[in-house]
Amino acid sequence: MSGYTEKMREIAGRLLGDCSVQMVIGFRKGTLPMMNEPCFVTNPEQVPSLVWDSNCGINLANYLTNRKEKIAVFAKGCDSRNIVNHIVENKIKRDQLHIVGVPCTGMIDKRKITGMVNGEILETTETEDTIKVRTAEAETLFDKREVLQQNCALCIHRNPVIFDEMVADPVAEQTDIDRYADVRKIEEMDSKEKWQFFDDLLSPCIRCYACRNACPLCYCPTCFVDESKPQWVGKGQDPIDVRTFHFLRAYHCAGRCTDCGACQRACPVGIDMRLLTRKLEKDCQEQFGWEAGLSLDQRPALDVYQTNDPEAFIK
Amino acid sequence: MNNNSWEPKIVSFFCNWCTYGAADLAGVSRFEHPPNTRVIRVPCSGRVSPKFILAAFMNGADGVWVSGCHPGDCHYIEGNLYARRRFTLLKNQLEYMGVEPGRLHFSWISSAEASKYVQVITEVIDAVKALGPNTRFVKHQAKVA
Amino acid sequence: MTLLTIDKQNWTQGLAAAADHYRLFGPVKEKDQHRFKALEKGQLPDLDLVNTRLSPKDLVFPQSEIMLTYSLDESREDHHIMKEAHTDHAPRAVVGMRPCDARAIQLVKLNFDTPDVKDPYWLKAYEATTFIGMACDTPLSTCFCTSAGCGPYNAEGLDILMMDRGGTYLAKIFTEKGKAFADTAGWNQATPEAAEAFVAAKEAAEAKMVSTISTDNLADTDLLDLHGAPFWDDIAFACLNCGTCTFTCPTCWCFDIQDEVQGKSGVRMKNWDSCMFPIFTVHTTGHNPRDTKTQRVRQRFMHKLKYFVDKYQTGIMCVGCGRCVRQCPVNIDIRRVCELMNSFKPADACVAQG
Repeated sequence: MSGYTEKMREIAGRLLGDCSVQMVIGFRKGTLPMMNEPCFVTNPEQVPSLVWDSNCGINLANYLTNRKEKIAVFAKGCDSRNIVNHIVENKIKRDQLHIVGVPCTGMIDKRKITGMVNGEILETTETEDTIKVRTAEAETLFDKREVLQQNCALCIHRNPVIFDEMVADPVAEQTDIDRYADVRKIEEMDSKEKWQFFDDLLSPCIRCYACRNACPLCYCPTCFVDESKPQWVGKGQDPIDVRTFHFLRAYHCAGRCTDCGACQRACPVGIDMRLLTRKLEKDCQEQFGWEAGLSLDQRPALDVYQTNDPEAFIK
Repeated sequence: MNNNSWEPKIVSFFCNWCTYGAADLAGVSRFEHPPNTRVIRVPCSGRVSPKFILAAFMNGADGVWVSGCHPGDCHYIEGNLYARRRFTLLKNQLEYMGVEPGRLHFSWISSAEASKYVQVITEVIDAVKALGPNTRFVKHQAKVA
Repeated sequence: MTLLTIDKQNWTQGLAAAADHYRLFGPVKEKDQHRFKALEKGQLPDLDLVNTRLSPKDLVFPQSEIMLTYSLDESREDHHIMKEAHTDHAPRAVVGMRPCDARAIQLVKLNFDTPDVKDPYWLKAYEATTFIGMACDTPLSTCFCTSAGCGPYNAEGLDILMMDRGGTYLAKIFTEKGKAFADTAGWNQATPEAAEAFVAAKEAAEAKMVSTISTDNLADTDLLDLHGAPFWDDIAFACLNCGTCTFTCPTCWCFDIQDEVQGKSGVRMKNWDSCMFPIFTVHTTGHNPRDTKTQRVRQRFMHKLKYFVDKYQTGIMCVGCGRCVRQCPVNIDIRRVCELMNSFKPADACVAQG
């Protein structure tokens, strides 16, 4: 992905220059190592601020909801699937978008890398396959594949599923990926162990709702946690309220989640709430043969039915 | 608590057009059945949001039972078919997070099936009784620190 | 002020002795992060840390705190009468907090302890607490305390400030509360001659700071000009409106009051709230005067860097701990925002608007 930045600036400059879009949504260089900031540019002079590297994990589809402008957006595989969701769910119109597809080889996991080196990371530099991390004392070279976000390591849709033009040729898709080994491990636990596992998983939650807000699927004008008549979930730190929030947040993404990893990436306390969304994803696949965000012509899993849907659990 | 005398509380969401009628018919027909349910009448099983089910558990229900029309018989043509997909994911997800299988039940019972109603309510109550009181997904009053 | 030397061999014993009279709190490693928690008997605070992910503000301002309790059972004589919750306000001490977090509590105090209104919940917890700080010799690249009115050896808000000298801790006692704690812990080895060491270490620590902000123009810039500055849409664009910055911020103090009723007994509690949440300002009519993301983001930065500056004349409502910088999921950096605000000239706005 190292050559993408130049190409992106060229595309953005052209689109803004000939007025085919009013706004380009992309990333600018962050102020911290392994961080980039989503940004918009509206005139060709701002185009040089656009960058692309392995730290563009935020899902840009999140910034398209209800916008009125004609927009060009850079879209990785997962972003493009969320754009499909957005179009299908009428959150933006297809002809409002100029989608610039970005073949993606994965985003790096900042938290994982931080845990693998001693001391504060002051700088990272990357090539196609490696990430070099500099601390005050040492430099460490990582194979990029070793430090990917888990959702990227498990990704089977690295190339955009919908685009108007591409930044580069498609990358090879990963095959023979076991996406659900950790979910199966939980499924095999007994009921009590499961309960305790999730108590432990969710105990650090501070209810900041970063997971919800980082998610492009979460756009309800009033979220269920903010509803007060009736109030479905308490606002405090009660573990049952925390669990209810996470349960319903994940469930709300059922059949829509593309496992872009934004929720986990955004969490300030490092909760892997993707264990919840991926269980739903797995069930959607097993029960209804459904994978989210692949086609503009298909309604989401919970928006349709088959007369022969499974119902062995119904008396 | 003495387990022999303990009786579970079941919150039941019944579709107005079928199971609610079946429960009524069971009563009119003088069929004997256990009295442990608190019935909430809904216009369709498709009206039952996962929030309702969680709210029932959080507020102390030992079991939740949702019952609607047989597929093909929905008063609104297809409400129960959408609901079926939702319930599939919901039940799996609740059990995945550690709610005991046997706390949450679903059935299709038409308004003519009073005997099926009696049979299912007995099954539901037996299943919940076997599990004992719901101690997991219950919210308790916050304590002063 | 007294200077004491605490032999690290006496550290454990001292804390054990103190634990008989104080509830002790300190940083503890949980999973991959440090968090301030009540220490179990015999548990030591883990002082080998850079910065906790959450500040210790919750020791005096818990994320969820019960204020009142009541019963709705009409067979009781006291039904529907609100009663103050019997919160445990026995003496407690927090061991090993950073100077930035200690100053932050003083800034928060400006809000909870005013001449007109005194928040009894916050103040009782505050008064019950002895604040024992650990000077900071390992600033991160995101720390900018020295230019935010604070510093790695800042003593403001602390009863005791300690520094690490290898085999010993050197402790400065500032208050009666601090002295009482040191006496209870049996720390009494006065070493007035070590004052020099403090000064040298302070200078060395300050020299390690690499990040600074400028705040000199904030007070003199017109409030409405800043409010109408053209950069807010750009700053706010990436924002997700999560509450991470406000929850991790040691100086954010907003809360919401909720009733929770179970059966016939209820509690009234206060919970942290965040100006980043749309619901924060929603009226009962449904109208929301701060309806857009840009308005909410502007509110957060204007409160910290302008309204507070104007209201209290004690500088900005930020101690430079860098938590929001490190933890913002989309890298909105208060240092950059502060730079934009501080260098803002209203004339620019006129030019930009043509």
